[in-house]
Amino acid sequence: MTTPGEEAPVTSDFVRSYVITGGRSLPSSDELALHTLVTLAPERTLPLGAGPEVRAIWELCAGGYLSVAEVAGHLGLPVGVARLLLTDLSEQGHLLRRAEPPRAQNVDRATLEKVLHGLQSLIG
Amino acid sequence: MTSLIGDPLLWILLVVLVAAVFAVLRARRTNLALRRTKKDLETGLAQAQGRVDQLQGHIATLDSQHRGDLADVRADAESATKAVLKSAMGTLQSLAEEQQLLLDGLLKKYGDDTEVLADLMSVDHTGSQFSRRAKGISVLCGGWLGRREGVATVYDVARSAQGRIKDFNRVGIHAQVSVAVSSKAVEPVAVVLAELLDNATTYSAPGTPVEVNIQSVPTGVCFIVDDAGLGMDQETKDRAAALLSADGPVDITSLGDPPRFGFAVCGMLAARYGFTVSVGSVSPYGGVRAVIRVPEELLTADAVAPVEPAREPAAQEQESTPHRLAPVPVGPSHVVGTTTGGLPKRRRRQGPIAVVPAPEETTGFDAQTTESAGEVTASRLGAFARGTQLGRTNTTEGPDHQ
Repeated sequence: MTTPGEEAPVTSDFVRSYVITGGRSLPSSDELALHTLVTLAPERTLPLGAGPEVRAIWELCAGGYLSVAEVAGHLGLPVGVARLLLTDLSEQGHLLRRAEPPRAQNVDRATLEKVLHGLQSLIG
Repeated sequence: MTSLIGDPLLWILLVVLVAAVFAVLRARRTNLALRRTKKDLETGLAQAQGRVDQLQGHIATLDSQHRGDLADVRADAESATKAVLKSAMGTLQSLAEEQQLLLDGLLKKYGDDTEVLADLMSVDHTGSQFSRRAKGISVLCGGWLGRREGVATVYDVARSAQGRIKDFNRVGIHAQVSVAVSSKAVEPVAVVLAELLDNATTYSAPGTPVEVNIQSVPTGVCFIVDDAGLGMDQETKDRAAALLSADGPVDITSLGDPPRFGFAVCGMLAARYGFTVSVGSVSPYGGVRAVIRVPEELLTADAVAPVEPAREPAAQEQESTPHRLAPVPVGPSHVVGTTTGGLPKRRRRQGPIAVVPAPEETTGFDAQTTESAGEVTASRLGAFARGTQLGRTNTTEGPDHQ
């Protein structure tokens, strides 16, 4: 029989993710894809009554563009939960978004090298 | 004289006299006999009384012995039941904990899939309620809750408690303080608060709010739970007060069928960990106001542990995916060390962001190495490529999009 004594550690997440979302339905991944980059809009103040997660996002995103996946990773939250919080901030106008840029068209290597050499001779 | 002898009256008188003498003698004898009988009876009565007293004493002895035996048997049965339940609940507790750990992993694994995530969350919600029940019964049977490693803010304790009840959506939390609860009290306070929230949501109309206000008081911190129910009748109040102030073990068989564990669990945990719970007062909404007062000794000023789990600094490199964006080498200083989570910390950039797809290995521009001349050149080239691309397609969401 495994009877946990006083010392038995409890390591599951203390605040469950459905409490953080408040039971709201999650936004679809079309809104903010994993690679969408977000940052704080300039001259914004933290909304009143922001929870610890929103405050953490605020601090993270103040440092420049981060992808949605990175934000979720930093917070230790499922991506869907981080996406909901980011969507909220975005709807309130606190966040700037930048879609993942499409892959560049293939340019042949010779052209790139020419451009590079040209730039190198220009910039030194 | 002859006339006197011949007088019948005299004879009659004589006869009457003799009869009277006889009667007196006889009465005297009877009297004596009766006195003797009375004496005998009195002695008998006293003896009988003595016997009765003796028997009554005996009955009392037997009775108390019987009561004692019965209490012993009851106590034995109770402790045997508790021992069995405690160990059974212990197993359930560890299974519930195992399931929650598993769900923590699954929630992160399927975090990007909205539908799966929502379903996993509802499973998690049921699991949390199940875990709370198991913990409550375990505590009543003398079991333990398990110990949290880190301290938690009062706000997080309240949110954790909120997550353990069915109607968690109705609960609103307002924290006026940002103090943390010490690690040993984190779980008990959360369990007690969850029981109070469960009562509050169960005994008030669906849709009415249940408020948790967390306030600092001179002797510690108070969690105040207000509901908009009908309040409690005097009998329930008395029962609650008795259970909340109980010092010793609680008789689990006296909690009714179906058993109402809530107050008993609260009283037990409060006594064990040294905080107080009261439910006597009326809430501003007309329902019940329940208050948990956590004393100074169970609070801490320690910094709250970061929300992110500790990870190896090299984890990022190992977890690279084919579609991962190349780090943007605009300048040497935009990555300023790593966070405790092992991810790079970035600072706001001066110029426009330059994001290009990861270069082919054959191009020779290794974006992973920083602060090299080739790196700077590559970043300039990237900016250039991006500039031309922006000219061709307009795919950027951003300031101009809003």
